[in-house]
Amino acid sequence: MNVLYVEDNKINAMVMDKMLSRNDSNVIIAENGSQALKVVKEEALDLILVDINLGLNQMDGCELLQRFRKLDILKNIPVFAVTAYAMPGDEQRFINIGFDNYFSKPVNFDQLLSVISKIGTSQTT
Amino acid sequence: MSLTLQKFGISSEKTLLFLFVLKKDGEIISFNNRCELLFPLDKNKIEGKFITDFIIDKDVSVFLSSTSGLSHSSPLINVSLNFPTENQGVVSIKFDFKLHNDLIYATGIDTTEEYKEHRALLTISKLAKTGAWYFNPKNNEMYWSDGCYFINELSPCTSITREKEISFYPEDARVRIKSFLDNLIKDKETYEYTEKIITEKGNEKWIKVIGQPVIYKDEVVYVNGTITDVTDRHNYIEKLKYSEETKHLALKGIQSGLFDYHVKNNEVFYSSDFKKMLGLPLDQDFVAEEEFRKMIHPDDVEKMLKRRQDNFNQEGNYYYNYYRLKHINEGYRHYEVYGFKRKNAKGEITRMIGNLIDVHQKKINERTIVESKNRLQAIVNNGFAYTILLDTKGVILMTDEKSVKIIKRDFNVNPNQVSCRFIDVMPLNFKNSFAHEFNEALKGNIVKKEIERITHKGDLQWLEAKYTPVFDQEKKVNSVLVSFLDITERKLAEIAIKESHIKEQELNSLKSNILSNFSHEIRTPLNGIMTVSKLLLDEEKPDEREKLLEYLEESKNRLLDTINNLSNFSEIEAIKKNINVQKLDINYTIETSYREYKHMAEAKELAYQLELDQTSPQVNIDKDLFRAAINNIIHNAIKYTNKGSIIIKVNSQNSKNNVYISITDTGIGIDNENLKKIFDPFMQESIGMSRKYEGTGIGLSLSKRYIEILEGKIEVKSTIGKGTEFNIIIPKCL
Repeated sequence: MNVLYVEDNKINAMVMDKMLSRNDSNVIIAENGSQALKVVKEEALDLILVDINLGLNQMDGCELLQRFRKLDILKNIPVFAVTAYAMPGDEQRFINIGFDNYFSKPVNFDQLLSVISKIGTSQTT
Repeated sequence: MSLTLQKFGISSEKTLLFLFVLKKDGEIISFNNRCELLFPLDKNKIEGKFITDFIIDKDVSVFLSSTSGLSHSSPLINVSLNFPTENQGVVSIKFDFKLHNDLIYATGIDTTEEYKEHRALLTISKLAKTGAWYFNPKNNEMYWSDGCYFINELSPCTSITREKEISFYPEDARVRIKSFLDNLIKDKETYEYTEKIITEKGNEKWIKVIGQPVIYKDEVVYVNGTITDVTDRHNYIEKLKYSEETKHLALKGIQSGLFDYHVKNNEVFYSSDFKKMLGLPLDQDFVAEEEFRKMIHPDDVEKMLKRRQDNFNQEGNYYYNYYRLKHINEGYRHYEVYGFKRKNAKGEITRMIGNLIDVHQKKINERTIVESKNRLQAIVNNGFAYTILLDTKGVILMTDEKSVKIIKRDFNVNPNQVSCRFIDVMPLNFKNSFAHEFNEALKGNIVKKEIERITHKGDLQWLEAKYTPVFDQEKKVNSVLVSFLDITERKLAEIAIKESHIKEQELNSLKSNILSNFSHEIRTPLNGIMTVSKLLLDEEKPDEREKLLEYLEESKNRLLDTINNLSNFSEIEAIKKNINVQKLDINYTIETSYREYKHMAEAKELAYQLELDQTSPQVNIDKDLFRAAINNIIHNAIKYTNKGSIIIKVNSQNSKNNVYISITDTGIGIDNENLKKIFDPFMQESIGMSRKYEGTGIGLSLSKRYIEILEGKIEVKSTIGKGTEFNIIIPKCL
């Protein structure tokens, strides 16, 4: 299972890579939006995880989602928000923008892995 | 001689008749003694002269024409000849001429007296525009003298009948006119009437007609009469009647009384209406002046007498006075007195005639007008900031003192003295909406409009302009009152409320942004810490564990930084109280901070330079506070610079009192909008979702606070894409 993780914080990116790798996923890290847009054209993806705050003067996760939604190749690919924005109303906000799922940081990996495994089964069937 | 005279058959020398024997050409053959009176000369020298030598010029032709037609069979009667005499004036002799043996026998009678009377009558009749007429009822014969023809403007050659005479009267009067003469014949009584006629030439005239019967054996045998043209008199009387009526009505209309003051007798004649009004006795024509004076208002008597005396002492004939008079029922009313002074030959005033005009209503109106004008002026001056009354053309009718002052200052005209349009003397920004509001008011609507004005001192003034239509008695708009209410205070209060509301909202959102931001900044490293912990549980490879522990350490540090910043910020007041100020070398202090971040700058491959001051100035600072402030700025500079250089300079040589520290980067820069807020705490958070600066953002605002606590200053300059320069000024130790 190919997972793209768009995240500017290196530690968070690396720990996500380690965690998902242990669970049979191949994680591709993109540090910012433009890298991510490059990756989606080159790799066949099953899932995209997007941090919202992608750093100074950078396209944020919301804008990146809008770009993804315009691409036909990503038509059936789920995009999840993975963010430290976790105030009341934030989840609803990101779901309304169009994310398929929302995970707040610190990430509850049990939940995340369970959702990912469901995507895996639905694809094999 | 006497022979020929004997032919008259009368005793020629005893008769009163004038007797002549003349040749047919008028040569005098013989005359009796009586005729000597007619001649100026000696009797003996008369014979052989012509009678035409002794008569007036006019009569010469009369004589010649009458004698030429004389024949034996037709004698002539009643030929009047006039002889100018020495002693008796013109003597008028009426002759009968008889022809006998080709000689004219003239028998004359002195008619001087009758003639004179006749002339006089003719003259009178002409002067009196009177004609005579007679009527014979037996044969219905009518006679008109020349005067009658003249009055009726009818040619004297026309024969007159009773029918013709009646035809001169208007149709509706004819039956009545006819009955006058008919009744006279029946009743034998004189009549007299004045009637209108239309003359032959179509002119309207008034005539007076008199008819008198001549009675014989109790029957009217003849009617004598006159017609007099009384048009002028009639018109005059009509005019008199008219002007009398006019005067009467005029006096009634102006509620005035006529008076005639006889100065010497000190008594006054008043018209009866006036006496009725004042309650004066009606049976006396004259009222004693003192009696009248009692009617005058006690407050006015002295002034009235003074004015009268002054007037009497003046030249000229006109008199004027005014006072209040007591009416019979109504109390005092105001009167104005206009008079004419009649003076005798010595120039003394004998009488004064004139009228008193009731001006009570006028006085009351005047007072009301003055009062209401004063009231209006008071409203105009005090009720509003500015008030301007406009006519329907927009011309200023009246305005308050303050507006006058402004208009005078700005346009150099006084609108209360010179007619000018409001639009020409109003502030520029009033003009946009004026026409619309003014037109609405002209339609009868009250319109309000808030408008700004800059006073001559440059202050902003808020005005509420209210356009109020003013209606005349016919409910038409005849003017528009534009009043300006100064609502500056209200407006400022509104703005302040709005601003404080916005501030409150900003604060609220800032508060939630602070929370949100801290939550984010805590969750991010926490995510690392928790994930690493989880990974460590299952990681057995020592290398991997080592790496994970490093990640753990970095995340822990970041979390600690965030929490320190927050507690520092919240404890700023406490910090202020507990600072530890020491005399320190600025070069050393800055260099310490510089070294602290060297590895960070080098990791980003930035040119990282330090230029110290050569004099090593001393400053009074709290070491920790100052370094925290500087560190924050250096940290930021490195963080937001990806390429280029970070240069830190210390310089005190250009200033006696201060040390200048600059930190210049070639980083991303800050736009103007954010530059203003850069020292606001949590400034980054107000950008919202798309947060561009990592970190709590509390850093720079803390730096500023710390520097300020140390009595320094911090400034920032920045250009987007080129970099940012922070300048810190710290006072030297002297």
